[in-house]
Amino acid sequence: MVFVSPDFSRAMKEEGSDLGYAFALPRLVARLAGRRVRRAEFSRWEAYGFGILVFGISCVFAARLILPFVRPGIWQALFLFFLPPAMWVAYLLLYFINARIVAVLRRLGFYSAPTNNPFQHFVIMSLTTMLALLFLQDASTWLKSLGALWLALLFCNLLAIVILKLRHEP
Amino acid sequence: MTEPRRWYHRFAVRGVLWREYLDFGLTNVPFYLRPVMIFFWTIFFFFLAAPARRAILSNLRVIMPGSDPVLNLGRAWLTLYNFAWTISDAADHKLAKTQFAYEVEGAEFLEALAASSGAILLTAHMGNYDLGAAVFAQRFQREIRMVRAPEADAETARHLDESLERAGAGAVKVAYNTDRMALPLELLNAIRAGEIVSIQGDRAIAHVSQRAARLFGEEVMLPDGPFMLAFVAQAPIYPLFIVRTQFHRYKIIAREPIHCRRDGRDRGSVIEDAMHAWSRTLESVIARHWSQWFSLVPIFPAR
Repeated sequence: MVFVSPDFSRAMKEEGSDLGYAFALPRLVARLAGRRVRRAEFSRWEAYGFGILVFGISCVFAARLILPFVRPGIWQALFLFFLPPAMWVAYLLLYFINARIVAVLRRLGFYSAPTNNPFQHFVIMSLTTMLALLFLQDASTWLKSLGALWLALLFCNLLAIVILKLRHEP
Repeated sequence: MTEPRRWYHRFAVRGVLWREYLDFGLTNVPFYLRPVMIFFWTIFFFFLAAPARRAILSNLRVIMPGSDPVLNLGRAWLTLYNFAWTISDAADHKLAKTQFAYEVEGAEFLEALAASSGAILLTAHMGNYDLGAAVFAQRFQREIRMVRAPEADAETARHLDESLERAGAGAVKVAYNTDRMALPLELLNAIRAGEIVSIQGDRAIAHVSQRAARLFGEEVMLPDGPFMLAFVAQAPIYPLFIVRTQFHRYKIIAREPIHCRRDGRDRGSVIEDAMHAWSRTLESVIARHWSQWFSLVPIFPAR
């Protein structure tokens, strides 16, 4: 029996050397820099950097909200230590509630994506943007800067989506 | 008579609940929040899966003699973190057909394996062997018969079988390495029919034919079934590993094939030589990628 196989290693190498970003902004920047880029979740900067930013904004918000009610010293240190896992549990609840909402939307025929990720993404982006807007009204300069950073990234990404659409690029 | 299943078995470390939860996570958590999800779940399992943690620590003591026990706790955590990523990526490929980027080391051996008519793909509990089999089967349009150690939990086994067959678009067939006599014959027939049989050769389980070999200077029991199969079928053995390099990026490591040729020597010495070559290959790959060796049961003698 003879097997004819495609040039697997060359195909793999080509894929491996290819740049891939999920967000429009880095894709546009890479294209403007003359790089070959495609829509794919290959970037660790997007996964780790953006994830830490989103998660960090919600942790900062919770800390800002609750910390004034916690007695200073060891209690505040303990609160800050347990805040990220508590926030993670809060996220789990959020995913669960969103999944229930998507299930209802699916039953009504208003949602047909294969996974719930697009809806979850939309909700998380909306919530983070709301928190960033609240940060802008805060007295603290660094919180204002954090809010402004988020809004600037969001604006640039939306702009990049429009430009890529106009250029008929994926 | 089998013991009736208790409701809390689902919550055991190897219970199906965690696999189902993983599927939920991958269809609900956006990709950029997965590092956070996996980070916290690894901490949870680091404490919950104590036997697995102890097994990794005992392996690390042998792979890195004289290593600091406190640092080894960090290394054990890192190994579990990589394990979480690999099972998550395999499930992601199954559920969302997510793409991964690959680089290949030893491309000529991989091409030879793909073109071979009947071969044994010998791998280890290392990196993402489930994803590797699925991708290989799809890319080469070859059927792979994957031999696995039986899962402790029947529901988890069913879930894994379905996952593998779905991820490989039906081209990956799972066979369990138990004491049933028919399996070697089935595998022999599959190789003779030109199929690829994938076997994990870094850990021998009870009731399975095994032989002593040396790994990192220690005597361990490794399965000799793949080598007997290669000897009888006169098929080459291709050592192949798939390790995670970065987020959604993998490296396929293919090594020089091992042959069990009939060259006038007795079967025992041919197999022993082949096992020696395999343990040298295994040792070199584990030494470089110790944080992706997911041998979650102790294989070295207790110290």
